[in-house]
Amino acid sequence: MDSIEIPKRIETINSFKAQGGKVAAVLPIHYSRALFRAFDILPVEVWGPPEVEASYGGVHLQAYVCSIVHNALSFLKKGGLEIADFILVPHACDSLQGLGSILLDFVKPTQTVAPLYLPRGKRTEDKQFLADEFRALARQLSNLTGKEPGDDKLLECIEREEQADLLLADLYRNRTGLGLDNLSFYRLIRSREYLPAEQFTELAQTALEKHSARNPNGIPILLSGIVPERMEVLKAIEELGGFVVADDFACCGRRLYPKGNERDPFLRMAERIINAPPDPTRGNSIDERAEFLINLAQTYGAKGVIFYELKFCEPELFDLPNLRNSLKQAGLNSVHIEVDIKDPLSNQVITRIGAFLEILE
Amino acid sequence: MSIRAKAESLWNVDILGKNVLAFQRWQAERRPFKSSKWRTDILAEPLRIGARTKELIGLHYLEGRYANGHRPVAWVTSGGPVEILQALGYYVLYPENHGALCGTRRAVVDISTEAENAGYSRDICSYARTDIGSMLSGKTPVGKLPKPDLLLACTNICQTVLSWYRVLAKHFNVPLILIDTPFVYKEAPQHALDYVQKQLEDSIPTSEKVAGKKLEYKKLQQTLQLSKDATELWLEIMGRGKHRPSPISVFDQFIHMAPIVEMRGERVTVDFYARMLKELDERIEKGIGAVKNERKRLLWDNLPIWYRLRYFAEYLGERGISVVASTYTNAWGELAPLIDVNKPLESMAKTYIYPILNRGTQYKLDTMRRMIDEFHLDGAILHSDRSCKPYSIGQVDQRNRLIKEYGVQALLLEADHDDPRAFAEEQVAARLAAFVEMLED
Ligand code: SF4
Ligand code: SF4
Repeated sequence: MDSIEIPKRIETINSFKAQGGKVAAVLPIHYSRALFRAFDILPVEVWGPPEVEASYGGVHLQAYVCSIVHNALSFLKKGGLEIADFILVPHACDSLQGLGSILLDFVKPTQTVAPLYLPRGKRTEDKQFLADEFRALARQLSNLTGKEPGDDKLLECIEREEQADLLLADLYRNRTGLGLDNLSFYRLIRSREYLPAEQFTELAQTALEKHSARNPNGIPILLSGIVPERMEVLKAIEELGGFVVADDFACCGRRLYPKGNERDPFLRMAERIINAPPDPTRGNSIDERAEFLINLAQTYGAKGVIFYELKFCEPELFDLPNLRNSLKQAGLNSVHIEVDIKDPLSNQVITRIGAFLEILE
Repeated sequence: MSIRAKAESLWNVDILGKNVLAFQRWQAERRPFKSSKWRTDILAEPLRIGARTKELIGLHYLEGRYANGHRPVAWVTSGGPVEILQALGYYVLYPENHGALCGTRRAVVDISTEAENAGYSRDICSYARTDIGSMLSGKTPVGKLPKPDLLLACTNICQTVLSWYRVLAKHFNVPLILIDTPFVYKEAPQHALDYVQKQLEDSIPTSEKVAGKKLEYKKLQQTLQLSKDATELWLEIMGRGKHRPSPISVFDQFIHMAPIVEMRGERVTVDFYARMLKELDERIEKGIGAVKNERKRLLWDNLPIWYRLRYFAEYLGERGISVVASTYTNAWGELAPLIDVNKPLESMAKTYIYPILNRGTQYKLDTMRRMIDEFHLDGAILHSDRSCKPYSIGQVDQRNRLIKEYGVQALLLEADHDDPRAFAEEQVAARLAAFVEMLED
């Protein structure tokens, strides 16, 4: 299969910095990329990362905290975030809340650390509150950079991100005809975590131009969870005869932010997040999530769902029994696989995925 | 409203139940010490108020058992703003308190297994697992829990409660009111306070609709006043721990805290704590300590280990160690000054955004330090609770700082507040022994 040349994370950061910009390390899950870009800051996301000596985090955290948080802290302590000028810790769950708090109070990295609270509803006051959170964050970014972008600049940045997100959605829609294997597809999708929107847009357009009506080989499946780490799992799924047609990952499908309508830039940023696909960390109901998953599976012809979850991730674990029941009632098989990104991909995980694909066959 | 349900409640609760429970209390007050299983050679005899605690809680669950059909029922998270619901006449149930009760009665493994068999992971909070297990199976040590007509989840203790209450909302198919209280890393910004206040205002129409009546402003003020009175009394009760010997241990506080959590805003709760305070003052006058030979004094951080209260009380009591203060029980008292009956919703927004569990790790450490000073403590036990990440994350640094910067002994002890399967007997005993030895040095 064809693959696409994707700029590496470190190259992207260095070239952005070489042009005078700054870099922010951003932890999961939701925030506004446009807000950072308006201050000439490149947001680079930190989902773990998996390959890091995790014991550094253990100096501050108990073993029953998820590996995303453990690894992020280990990475920071090992100097992995030194290149960043700013650290944002959005509030997604009790564990990230705790991480934000110990960074501010005890670890105290050299960079400014800012939390961002994510409201758990879709009410008018939730949107208003999130907009106010963005305004407060903008003041911090202004202190860091000395810049004060006006509404026009903010809207311009928002529209650029909206354009990139529309293309991201197009990539998903045309997934089967892109000629990309699982791993290449997710490398492309996940480059959104660090590439400037304009660069991602170019890449996405190139990928879409190569689109043909080819049918993929393999059993169509849907993945759900926080993050597909270790990424080798995607290759393993392919080798076992599966083809990922869509996902409900916190880092990918749950961040297909729709275009906004508000003219106030802060409300527009908030609106986009609040109207994104259902996410347990944003308080969407279990029914909304189930309906979304079933629709997604039906739209893309998925035959089954793999819940690829991280150990100790409570927001995910609470919904699983009901989601799996709803899928079953809709005629969709599912399997729950629990991993720890600190560990290499295990044979046990591969065997379970293989067994599940066999059932689907 | 069903007349039959009303009549059943009248007969079973108001006529039979109340009198039977009052009689049992009368009996227990006459022979309180015989019924104690705790070692009274090293610990003080149990507080006489215990008989009333049993009566009050017994009556509360009995009322719940007969509430459906004639009274609106709400299930509420333990830090939830309950006053609006109280003022509307709701019967309020706190699943966490029920979980604690299941913990003390050693019923958690059985009930939680029901949830685990339905696919709920053992890695989720054991209160939630117990509650979901009870919801699915009907199992409970209190006979029967009423079904909710309304759910209220307030995120000021954790985000876990929202995940949990979404499961309840799906199962019971009833409205879920969310009061989202942004986490306070340092100080709450004005927009966060406004946000909470707006949600409180917006919760009123739904609560009224389910209750079938309008909220009376005056009633809300009265309820808030009762909440404030009870909370202030609770604060005073905990403050009595400053005396040497302390007339009350945190184990007593854990046992007698149910009314302040689940019956705030009720007259009976105020009377109950006034009586308890009087009893403690009598103890102080007579020089009675909760631990007979009090030599060392400790702080308890995080939730209790409900199924092992007696173990800890006796193990430490035997060594002359009294655990006299706790950040956990303090949480239900420390916000009393923020309640202002003349500004109900505005002051509720402040009160409910500032509980310790919704505040940063430095604030928790500062609270521990303040308590160590005020209560003249020699050390601290930090219960690292597998189930409760929001309370536990930060404890590793807090412990280290207590030792290095504050010069007090501090022990980080891993367990689970409700699930005995996460209690490593030998490891806990060994760590406790080593800690006690260090305290003596
Ligand atoms: S994996 Fe789950 S628990 Fe961990 S940071 Fe993400 S949402 Fe929170
Ligand atoms: S996670 Fe902690 S605060 Fe939340 S319900 Fe469980 S024990 Fe209570």
